[in-house]
Amino acid sequence: MNFRERERRMDRKNPFLFYGGKVLGFIISMVVLSFAVFSIARLAPGDPLVSYYGERAEKMTPDERALAERRLGLEEPVHVQYIRWAGSALQGDFGISYKYKMDVTEVIGGRIGNTLLLGGIGFVLIFVLALLLGILCAWYEGGLPDKIICKIGTVTSCIPEFWLSLMLILIFAVYLHVLPSSGAYTVGGKGDVGDRILHLALPMTVVVTGHLWYYAFMIRNKIVEELRADYVLLARAKGLNKRRIMFGQCLRNVMPSYLSIMAISVPHIMGGTYIIETVFSYPGIGTLSYESARFKDYNLLMVLCMISGGVVILCNMAAQTINERIDFRIRPEEKSGSKFPDS
Amino acid sequence: MEDEGFKLVGVRGPSLTSFAPEDDSAHKETKRRPVSKAGLWLKRKRMEKRPVFSFLLLLTIILCCLGCELFMPKDPLYMDLANYDRRPDGEFWFGTDAMGRDLFSMIWYGGRVSLLIGFAATAVSTLIAVVFGAVSGLAPRWADALLMRLTEILLSVPNLLLVVLLQAVLGQANVWSLSFVIGVTGWVSIAKVVRTEVRQIRGSEYVIASKCMGAGFFHVLFNHLAPNFFSAIMFMVVMNVRSAIISESTLSFMGIGLPLEVISWGSMLALADKALLSGSWWMIVFPGLFLIVTLVCITNIGSALK
Repeated sequence: MNFRERERRMDRKNPFLFYGGKVLGFIISMVVLSFAVFSIARLAPGDPLVSYYGERAEKMTPDERALAERRLGLEEPVHVQYIRWAGSALQGDFGISYKYKMDVTEVIGGRIGNTLLLGGIGFVLIFVLALLLGILCAWYEGGLPDKIICKIGTVTSCIPEFWLSLMLILIFAVYLHVLPSSGAYTVGGKGDVGDRILHLALPMTVVVTGHLWYYAFMIRNKIVEELRADYVLLARAKGLNKRRIMFGQCLRNVMPSYLSIMAISVPHIMGGTYIIETVFSYPGIGTLSYESARFKDYNLLMVLCMISGGVVILCNMAAQTINERIDFRIRPEEKSGSKFPDS
Repeated sequence: MEDEGFKLVGVRGPSLTSFAPEDDSAHKETKRRPVSKAGLWLKRKRMEKRPVFSFLLLLTIILCCLGCELFMPKDPLYMDLANYDRRPDGEFWFGTDAMGRDLFSMIWYGGRVSLLIGFAATAVSTLIAVVFGAVSGLAPRWADALLMRLTEILLSVPNLLLVVLLQAVLGQANVWSLSFVIGVTGWVSIAKVVRTEVRQIRGSEYVIASKCMGAGFFHVLFNHLAPNFFSAIMFMVVMNVRSAIISESTLSFMGIGLPLEVISWGSMLALADKALLSGSWWMIVFPGLFLIVTLVCITNIGSALK
């Protein structure tokens, strides 16, 4: 205990050690992650040749198969394949996608913007709206607005994302014909901003409603907890009004833990986006990773896993750093405890 | 045998409390007797915020699913090709799906599978989480740090991909393999809580005493540790049932879970793209509503346990 405490304090004094340790941890995690995904993907039965050659793969003679496998480097043991893959990956060559017959980076480059647009705007919206809703509920704590919002929130948080997507498509695309049901833009209209917004409307609604309440409720509870603290009593005794206390003092105390929670939320929102993209056939990396996992597009799958894994690990580290460095008041039992229950 | 003594001291189990006089609460009740007993009961329930309504509703749904043979008007597996894609009417209360199966019967019949997967997957993940969390909590610091890093890495693979890959390893999905896959991918958050709790109580006298007497890992875990962290993970376990049911429906809907012939709330929705084309809202709305009502009940029960 003492040793570790001293170690941490030393780290804090020496930023080089602190961030150096973080970077080292990140690299090790990425290596383990890539090897794990690599081996799981290859151990899983299924024919990668199908994604490369399509239907023709089933009609190949054994000789042709062997030749094709050797060409793609699939006949060697897993760890040899992994080392070769890692070697070229370090030089920036991630191989070609078996399905698209293009460089993996090119395939992903064409799609990642769409996902960033959906996930990024979604994240910002969730961040802001959750804060506002949480404050609103805490303001009227126990009152009618609070109760109503809490009830509605609980129900919305129980709606599976795919079902909400289906309902929205049913209402707005099938019956009302006002919004498109799939894709990111009308064919040929890639640059049209209005068209993009129309296509984003439904998936964005699902992304936001799927996660909003979880974070809003968390904020609400944090503020309510803060409002019971002694300093609020003091502030009230000094004659500060509710608005000043809540925005000037409580909110400031709540913000660090909210920031760290939002950092951990990134992977969850990302995971949700993957499913939503698939339902709306939105051309982002979610649909891409789903396809690549199902059809054994190894090279593509690896890079996609590395991207999302990297984001998750980075976000976890960010959350940890926020906890350790910014919020000094944080209590030790809280730091290791269940900040983030319900996955 | 020789453990009995320590159990009495250590675990706040029934063995110790059974000696304590319990007439304290009874005494209070006698004081308030003038109010009608039912009214008092209701009032106390409301004060405690017990989700009685959710609990009863969930119980009804479970019982109806279990005993659905008693009241199902049609055979849920029978494909009535003359009556496919029918609107809800007097004969088919919730309409029929694109394969001519009666939705009303399918909902009750399929609920069994959905709920079963929810509970089975939770059992799997709770077991893994408890063992993993306890190992990590009892381990020396370096091993603990290593194990926790491992969970972080596991968390960083998108769940959807993990499930797809695992499914590929296990082959054609059935109820048990799907429960296993969902359980295996959903235990990390519980394990973290178990670990924290175990770290806090692992230095307690009764744990050390038990270890000194040569108790094995599982003996210590289930007799001394588990009763203590049980209440801490209860909420998460219930929420795990919820997320397992959601996972099942999402996976089956996407076509990587249960096949169409195995009826569940998720696989009923797998025909949704056809329903969208023909505008048959009933195929999407009814299974979804049942799903959501069940999930809301589970959530309410879970948050009351917190």
